[in-house]
Parts: sequence; structure tokens; C-alpha cells
Amino acid sequence: MTAPEILALLGIGLTAGALAGLLGIGGGLVIVPAMVLITGFDQHVAQGTSLLVIIPAAALGSFTHHRHGRFALRDAVALALGGVLGALLGSLVALSLDEELLRRLFAGLLLIIAARMLMTQSPNGERTERAVT
Amino acid sequence: MVSTPARPNPLILAAVGFAAGALSGLFGVGGGIIMVPAMVLIAGMAPQRASATSLASIVPIAAVGAVIFGQADSVNLPAAAVLMVGSLIGVQVGTRLMARIGDDRLRIGFAIFMAVIALTMLAS
Repeated sequence: MTAPEILALLGIGLTAGALAGLLGIGGGLVIVPAMVLITGFDQHVAQGTSLLVIIPAAALGSFTHHRHGRFALRDAVALALGGVLGALLGSLVALSLDEELLRRLFAGLLLIIAARMLMTQSPNGERTERAVT
Repeated sequence: MVSTPARPNPLILAAVGFAAGALSGLFGVGGGIIMVPAMVLIAGMAPQRASATSLASIVPIAAVGAVIFGQADSVNLPAAAVLMVGSLIGVQVGTRLMARIGDDRLRIGFAIFMAVIALTMLAS
């Protein structure tokens, strides 16, 4: 990596983290398009790297939540059991898709999420600790 | 407050997890974006509890995706390390700023920005 690339990635990480903290939106939604558009990574590499970046932030956040008794471990285990199967399937499908098509599908996902964000009211007083997800 | 059942049905949770995991693997995102509303609407969980539970399940979900993408040579480790440093600092800043900035205006601004990004991606 070159110095400008490192600086760009640092900035992308900072922005993704700050927006996750501010809005509770997932960091992946910022990291993936930024890696593709700003640093020119392949869509597949951007997505794979984003998944890895998400892990420590989610682990840290949920550790804090668990210490404060904000969720039941058995519920998280039930979610995760279905989740890992889905992740297995989703990842294999993503890797089988052409880079161009995957990028277009991702753009479609962003549009849907943007529309949903514009339509929903923010719940007043509902504040949780947020992390990069 | 919405009354929450003492124990959400684990089968429903597993189904919600499956859908979120598929989205996560497919697009490299966390999956909280569908898990949280689904847990609130279908399993009747309180939003804060749903968000904390979803965050915990994202750890193994993202790990599975990262391993599979890694095996296909689609993870850039140095880039991930730099992004992690940036995001861990950023999340501290964001959480602190949250108290001072109006939530709604920021959310609408970001939604519009995301739509522009999506159109740029489609055009490129």
C-alpha cells in the first residue's frame, strides 16, 4: 500500500466509525462503496475486507452490552445459528457473481436503505451504544 | 413501552438470523439493518434489546463471511488493519458527537448522500 492509500483508508475507517456512532448505521455500508470508489478496490475484496473490519467493533460493542445485561445470550445464539448458515450461503453466492453485477446489486441495496432512512422517523429517546456493524 | 415476551421464539430468531446472514455474506455488511427491525416487529423485542442482540450475532456471522472471502483471496489484510484503527477511533468520536447533533437532519443528509453514492456506483 502507498501512503496516500493508507491515509484514504484511515479516513474511510474514521468516517464509517463516526457515522456508525452517530446514526447506528452499519459501517459496512460506508466501507464497501468507499473502498470501491475512492481506493479502487475490487467489489469482492471490498466486501470481504469490510466483513473482517466489522468483527472487532461488533465484539467490543456486544461485550459492553452483555456486561450491562442488555441482551440474553440464548437469543444471540439462536440468531447466530441461523446467521452463520445464511452467511455461508450469501458469501458463496457473492463470490460466484461477476464483479460488475455484484456492484450493481450493492448499489440497489444502498438505494433501498436510503429510501427507508428517509421514510422512517427516528425514535425519540431511544439511544443505544452503537458500533461499526 | 412495548411489552416484551419473556422469551422470543428461538426458531423465529434463527430464521431472522438466516436472512440477515445471507444479506451479510452477499454484501459485506453487518446485517443489523434487517435483524433489528425484524426482531422488533416479528419477535416483539424492545428496540434496544434487539440492537444489542443483533450486534452480538454479527460477530460469528461476519467471521464466517470473512473466512470464506479470505479463502477466495478476497480479503485485503493490510487494508483491514488500517480501516479497523480508523473505525475504532471514529466510533468513539461519533458516539460523543451524537448528543450534540440533531439526529433527523443528519440522517436525512446521510440518506441523500448514500443515494448519490449508489447512483455513482451504477454509472461507473
